[in-house]
Amino acid sequence: MVCQHSVVAQQETASQAPEAGKIDPQIAPEPAAAVIAAQQQRIEAMQRAAAATVGVFGFDGQGGGSGVCITPDGYVLTNFHVSSPFGHRMRCGMNDGKMYDAVVAGIDPTGDLAVLKMYGRDDFPVATIGDSDQVRVGQWCFAAGNPFVLATNLQPTITYGLVSGVRRYQYPSGTILEYSDCIQTDTAINPGNSGGPLFNARGELIGINGRCSFEKRGRVNVGVGYAISIRQAMNFFWHLRSGRIVDHATLGFTVATDNKGRVIVTNILESSDAYRRGLRYGDEILRIADREIATTNQLKNVLGIFPNHWRIPLRFRNDIEVVDTYVRLQSLHLPVELEEIVQGESSQEPAPPPRNPQDEPKDTDKEEDGKKEKGPVRGQKAKKVDRLADRYESRRGYSNYYFNRLEIDRIVGTISQRGDWNATGPMWRLQGQVAGEPTALQILTGDASITAKAGDREEAVGSKLGWIPWIQQRSTLPLGLGVRVWQLWHRIGPQKMGEAVYIGRSPLVGRDGLFDTTRIAIGELDAVVYTAPDSGLVECIELTVDNQTDPAEIFFEKYRSIDGRSFPAQIRLAYGLETRTAMEVESVEWNAAPAAEGTD
Amino acid sequence: MRIGMLCLAWAICLASAVSLAPHNWAADEPSVSPARTLEQLVVQSERSIVKLYGAGGARGLESYQTGIVIGDGTLILTSWSTVLDVEKVRVVTFDGRRLDAEVAGVDPQCELALLRIPDAGLPPYALDPELVPRVGQRVFAITNLFGIAAGNEACSAQKGVVMAIAPLTKRKGSLKTLYQGRVIVIDVMTNNPGASGGALIDLSGRLVGVIGKELRDEQAGIWINYALPVDVVKSSVDRILSGQTSSNAATTATVSEPHRLLDLGLALIPDVLPKTPAFVDWVKEDSIAARAGLQPNDLILLVNEVRVDSRKGLERILSSINRADSFQILVQRGQELIRIQVRP
Repeated sequence: MVCQHSVVAQQETASQAPEAGKIDPQIAPEPAAAVIAAQQQRIEAMQRAAAATVGVFGFDGQGGGSGVCITPDGYVLTNFHVSSPFGHRMRCGMNDGKMYDAVVAGIDPTGDLAVLKMYGRDDFPVATIGDSDQVRVGQWCFAAGNPFVLATNLQPTITYGLVSGVRRYQYPSGTILEYSDCIQTDTAINPGNSGGPLFNARGELIGINGRCSFEKRGRVNVGVGYAISIRQAMNFFWHLRSGRIVDHATLGFTVATDNKGRVIVTNILESSDAYRRGLRYGDEILRIADREIATTNQLKNVLGIFPNHWRIPLRFRNDIEVVDTYVRLQSLHLPVELEEIVQGESSQEPAPPPRNPQDEPKDTDKEEDGKKEKGPVRGQKAKKVDRLADRYESRRGYSNYYFNRLEIDRIVGTISQRGDWNATGPMWRLQGQVAGEPTALQILTGDASITAKAGDREEAVGSKLGWIPWIQQRSTLPLGLGVRVWQLWHRIGPQKMGEAVYIGRSPLVGRDGLFDTTRIAIGELDAVVYTAPDSGLVECIELTVDNQTDPAEIFFEKYRSIDGRSFPAQIRLAYGLETRTAMEVESVEWNAAPAAEGTD
Repeated sequence: MRIGMLCLAWAICLASAVSLAPHNWAADEPSVSPARTLEQLVVQSERSIVKLYGAGGARGLESYQTGIVIGDGTLILTSWSTVLDVEKVRVVTFDGRRLDAEVAGVDPQCELALLRIPDAGLPPYALDPELVPRVGQRVFAITNLFGIAAGNEACSAQKGVVMAIAPLTKRKGSLKTLYQGRVIVIDVMTNNPGASGGALIDLSGRLVGVIGKELRDEQAGIWINYALPVDVVKSSVDRILSGQTSSNAATTATVSEPHRLLDLGLALIPDVLPKTPAFVDWVKEDSIAARAGLQPNDLILLVNEVRVDSRKGLERILSSINRADSFQILVQRGQELIRIQVRP
């Protein structure tokens, strides 16, 4: 009804305009039905947005920041600098007037993000995720949150404003905390708004508010606030769900803008993936992750939104040609560096001692807000019985190891859906042929050894050790090693294979979407297993020796059912971006006899 | 076309509050979608705004500010500030081009300056003195506040409403400003470091004001957010362009028996910078300068309406005035501008 009115009213307005001849746009007209309708839509957008907005408080109810709920089971995005003073335990208020118990999952000290998990409902109201790449200067937006800890009745404060700038880069101020590719807005963002959502006018989540420019005017808004783009937050979301201390990335090379305005490689590590892909000193960087690179700031912007280990497209120009390739991102920090930062900012103990003022997060410049509003967390925590004590597990390198186990359990749960693997024996024989060639190919994988036989040529290696030289020499045998890891993954599961760590979700070259990524230490190397989020199908296994060597990548393609079990019809081995060989699988013998080894 | 613009203005007027408006909003204007119009307006305006870099960088003194392209596209209007105390002011355009600008002239009374750049095809803003905004009107500030934008990054856009149009009252020691005239007072924090010289535009994208320098009421501690109205700006620009305050001291012919600082009884602060401001350090008793009323700490801005850009510049200008002739100078003493006649 209202919408129809609005269109009619607008048409009237538009048709009147030329007739009137002279219209002074500065005189506000009587509120047209269109305006009232639009206002109603705005109110509804804000109501939806407010329902998903979270007030973040300490376990004892003190302090306060903001957050936003993005999954019905209660995962909340907030700032690292909001969660860190509270340790691992906090309480979250929503506008249904209730406080929910929450624990911290993962943290990103560099990108100033944290993921919390609320408990108490399985139907939490969630924010609609928007597309921050479509945000433009001059669009209207609004923030919801808990500025100055005003939301004592748990109703968030809404502030409305303009997108002032996009793709802003804000240097680390004193700490490693860096805002790249962020949204600048004149929407009032004040201390306490930190971690809270920034919505577009339709009420879609476009950013996480976290930082302001203040300079000499004290710690209140002066018309300049910054929000981490939701694109960046969602790139990191599954990494943060892993309960790890998440790191950002470097490319392994540095750039500078030359006098012609080109972005040129000024230094490159020979051990970097980019070097192995052919990038050299003096080459010009053209695009990264499908974004044009014309300034060093743009490069920093693009780089800042990706977690380490992701593989992203790179286009560069050398003396001869334009090259399109992919590069693996390297860790920006050593694990110990991140741990030191985290230890400085938060307590990892279940019942922290009273905080020492010196442990308060450093007031870095005048920039990050939110901190001054928080009262110190006192030792009263110990008095309360923590109902969520079993949702926290301390482990080095993690903010909460409990969540890593949770994600691995989720992935393991999909394995049995793909078939009855307990009924298979320790030795499998795969029969087929080399793809595109009439050469017969047989892979035999068992607890003693792994054998690949192509035509008359046979290669074999032990089932645990001695794998590295085969990968360094880029031989075809790692096809069998991939099958071995695939076999173990399905037969005994990741936890029994070695130390298994859920990393998060990462892209795969040539595939859409993101894949659950699990790293397992096997023998002398790491196997990184990429599984499809819904089906749990293993899409790719990377065997990683060190950062000097391209890993062997084994892709499992064209899944079909063999004896009621999901099995790939094609297994492909690649190094770098080049396919080394591929096997077309014709049959699998699930309980092969060891005696069969070495026979025709 | 003109009708189209009016429709556009209407549409934005409404859409400004509501980018949620239905998509078939401007049914009669299929090419114009109101949800995008404000974005387009800002993008379009950005092309006429430049980032300026010059002297400063020390505590409390920014080395950057904002400028507006006017005239035939080779003039930049900006605030007259210490940022301009360099040989060449660096201009960075919306698309990242770097140009060198020279100070074409200044107007100390309005604290405005004009810079000249080579023709770079930048679209100029028109200065329409009739365009006086009304109280309650929606306005947008486009500035490079805090120097956030660099290279080809766009300047920042802020929304606001005109709160008042009123004179900056002359409360001594309360507001440290040379300009005492009418200003447009805005309801949001537009006048941040680096914002001065930026544009205040209306919903049709027309220039209605120039963001002034940072200003704080010393007694109340309140920062004032304001812009100079276009009529004030227009007459200031006209004054500068008519050569009332030229800066072309270098071309002035020297005379054989000129004025010299020593003979005037005037000592300036030591010449330590490329462009040391012409601050009076000491005035000899009973000298020509003392009789004229010059005092220590006076900053000499103009001599015979020629701009004094530095201590060296002052000496050059004096060398063109015959020792027997009297001349007029404009000095800044605290927050006051004082005209002084110097008679030998």
